[in-house]
Amino acid sequence: VGAEALVDRGVRRRFREGDADAVRLVYRAYGRLVYAVAYRTLGDPGLAEEATQQAFLQAWRAAASLDEEREMAPWLATIARRAAIDVHRREQRRPADALETVAPDDPALSTRDASAEELYGVWEVRRAVADLAPDEQEIVRLQHFEGLTHGEIARRLDLPEGTVKSRSFRAHKRLAAQLQHMRHEPTDRPLP
Amino acid sequence: MAPSEHDRSAYLGGEDSPALTAAERAELDEVRALLRSPATWAEPDPGLEQSVVDAIASEAGRHAEAEAPAAPRRRRARREPRRTGRTWWRPIPALAGLAAAAAVVAALVVAVTSGGGSKPPVQYAMVVSGTRLAPLAGGDATLTKTESGWRIELSANGLPRLANGRYYEAWLKNPAGVLVPVGTFNDARKVTLWAGVPPTAFPSLTVTRQRVGANQRSSRERVLTGTIRARR
Repeated sequence: VGAEALVDRGVRRRFREGDADAVRLVYRAYGRLVYAVAYRTLGDPGLAEEATQQAFLQAWRAAASLDEEREMAPWLATIARRAAIDVHRREQRRPADALETVAPDDPALSTRDASAEELYGVWEVRRAVADLAPDEQEIVRLQHFEGLTHGEIARRLDLPEGTVKSRSFRAHKRLAAQLQHMRHEPTDRPLP
Repeated sequence: MAPSEHDRSAYLGGEDSPALTAAERAELDEVRALLRSPATWAEPDPGLEQSVVDAIASEAGRHAEAEAPAAPRRRRARREPRRTGRTWWRPIPALAGLAAAAAVVAALVVAVTSGGGSKPPVQYAMVVSGTRLAPLAGGDATLTKTESGWRIELSANGLPRLANGRYYEAWLKNPAGVLVPVGTFNDARKVTLWAGVPPTAFPSLTVTRQRVGANQRSSRERVLTGTIRARR
């Protein structure tokens, strides 16, 4: 959110003109969010990077339709989702290989039909996590992504377990507050 | 903090909160699922930022060129080769510096001989153009004869960096369609490749997108092409 604050009206205007510094600022503000949406859709880091680059290119091409007075996030999120779907469709058209010759982790073997609401959730959760302090981010990551208990996190980070518990609670309190707007009527918000 | 807010935070953090309704639990379960998702934690390659900046700068440059006054653009188009699928070869600046451009072009064919100690290296240059899979891509390549083989220095913009099991592979091709692999890489902006066959016999350079785990043949997903042509 801090980086997003730097993307003001002037930056949006210069982004439209293709100014490299403005492109950089917009990427730093939204690149990880676009990448998260692409990754969720495609399930492959390389394809997600390709879709991210395409999303920014498409955003630049469509920048004439961008209202300088409005936040870029919903507009960019929509473009990110479309770019990822385009790459997904292209990958589906790739020549088929015999199943036994395909690597087990080939993205073609997994179905990625994330809904717009789910991708909106990815965008918002990624955004909320990015707004946590680094030590809180790490504890949340270890707890949810790596599935560690508070005791295991304490040993991993060489911290007292009580410290881990208090940081964890503080982090989840912030996440709950940041994501409160996702409650009840998510479809009323601009969907990616 | 209101009790329900405390309960929500605790539940999100993995504790049981009996005070929450089933609907509230379901909502928070979705957030917890997203916190477990690799998409939430995955970080793009640091080089992606520069790739995005380059890709937009490249396209912005083309737009600016297209919007230039019509008459000068037409004149320039007749004089300068453009990256529109048309390929040609040209002497690189180091060689061109020896004489006027026309004289060097004429001399270049003669220069494709075994080099003496003080002679400039035998070199070719070509423009590479993006295919329909990568219409924004473009760049150039210089091929230099050395004792070890042909060194190919490729510089192309408009292609995303590939990693995590995906990569680019460059090939030289002869008129019969025989492909010789000349190297693999992740980022096309500045690459050095090596070939054991001469570009005079294998005059076409192609770059394909490849994937680890498939066989070692060309994927046929060409993203860049270029050809050396002998000038008359």
